[in-house]
Amino acid sequence: MDQDGKTVLVADDDDDVLALVVRRLERDGYTVLTARDGAEALSVAQQHVPDLAVLDVMMPQLTGYEVTEHLRKDPATERIPVILLTARVQEADVSRGFAAGADDYIKKPFSPQELRSRVQAVLGRR
Amino acid sequence: MTGPLPLISLALAAMGMLMVAVLVARRVVLAIGERRRRRLEDALQPVALDIIDGEIDPTVSYSRRESRALALIVARYSRQLAGEARANVAEFFEGRGYVDREIRNLRARRAWRRASAAFTLGDMASPRAVRPLLDALDDSRRDVRSAAARSLGLLGASEAVPRLIDCLVTRAIPTGVGGFALLTLGTDARGELRGLVGHEDAAVRSTAAELLGYVGTPADASLLITLLRDLSGEVRSAAAGALGRVGAESAAVALRATLEDRLPYVRAATAEALGAIDDIDATKLLVRQAESDLFEPARAAARALATIDPDEAIAQGQIPGAGPHLLNAAALAELGR
Repeated sequence: MDQDGKTVLVADDDDDVLALVVRRLERDGYTVLTARDGAEALSVAQQHVPDLAVLDVMMPQLTGYEVTEHLRKDPATERIPVILLTARVQEADVSRGFAAGADDYIKKPFSPQELRSRVQAVLGRR
Repeated sequence: MTGPLPLISLALAAMGMLMVAVLVARRVVLAIGERRRRRLEDALQPVALDIIDGEIDPTVSYSRRESRALALIVARYSRQLAGEARANVAEFFEGRGYVDREIRNLRARRAWRRASAAFTLGDMASPRAVRPLLDALDDSRRDVRSAAARSLGLLGASEAVPRLIDCLVTRAIPTGVGGFALLTLGTDARGELRGLVGHEDAAVRSTAAELLGYVGTPADASLLITLLRDLSGEVRSAAAGALGRVGAESAAVALRATLEDRLPYVRAATAEALGAIDDIDATKLLVRQAESDLFEPARAAARALATIDPDEAIAQGQIPGAGPHLLNAAALAELGR
């Protein structure tokens, strides 16, 4: 599946999750950038301006919520769609993600098939 | 100096040096082993990812060491996965006979082997393990029961919910493990938990209500509201907490009434819940509770007040003679600004 060279930033401090998400996205034809904490994710996003960011919520340095808020404040990155990858799916947590500016969220443990659909849907909306 | 002292010193020095040499050698051996393990894992990672994607090549065979390493990687990945990928993991472990072997190990004589099998089966994602794991909840050893509970959660075995709650209530498994299992089941546990809030045993009702707060939704509000009138204070407290956690705004009126509960810990849980649902109409009641109630409910009311209406909290703190809890509420409100 060719995604016309679209770039996706994936940030997670768990190597296993990172490997699984990267694998799915690369198989679908995306170019994938990775980060292992919130600060690195923000830096990579500012440097490369990916077409989409998939961010874990609970990361060292900056949480996924905080990275999203920073992205939204910067005119260069404000339009990058964000999908939050989170084990926290209580109503309040989901609301907080949307309030921070996220476009969608995926619950962990995650289904690679669902990840693919959500990524396609979010990129299709923009 | 004469006598045996120089010889003893020499012997002690030699023993010390030997000990250091052994420790260094041990460290080197461990480091080499770890490096080998990592290299093997790096080499097998693409194979493990193929397995997750359902691309198992039956013609490829692996050495015993490789098979063990591959199984460990796939098991680790399986904890992060849901849906079809978990089915692929199960197919891999079932196809290679690992599931049957671990099910047999659940009946092993040694407890550590039973516990290890119970733990491993959760990562193997095979539904065939559910029944044997349910039986393992009756094991005589707590670590085996705990591992079985954890695995039932990972396997999404909603039929295990009543047994897991029973184990929690009777302390057959640690609260953290049982809670983790039920939270892992998530919304799959919701239906069973809703049924258990009507259980005759107050401890079961209370546990079910508390857990419903974590996996439930505002749609569970009406059921939880009925528990605010339960005969057991533990149940009323758990229901109030759960209503706050699921964000049940429709419970505001019932929660305000529960601020009059005769038990302090119920009033405390209720004040927290009102804070969680941001009930602005509860402000006056919370001010009164923060002024005049016992320590716990007063402190909870002050915190809720600071969350719901920071301006009012600050104003209350500025009134001459304001009590410690209202001063605390004012300070919290200032901090939140």
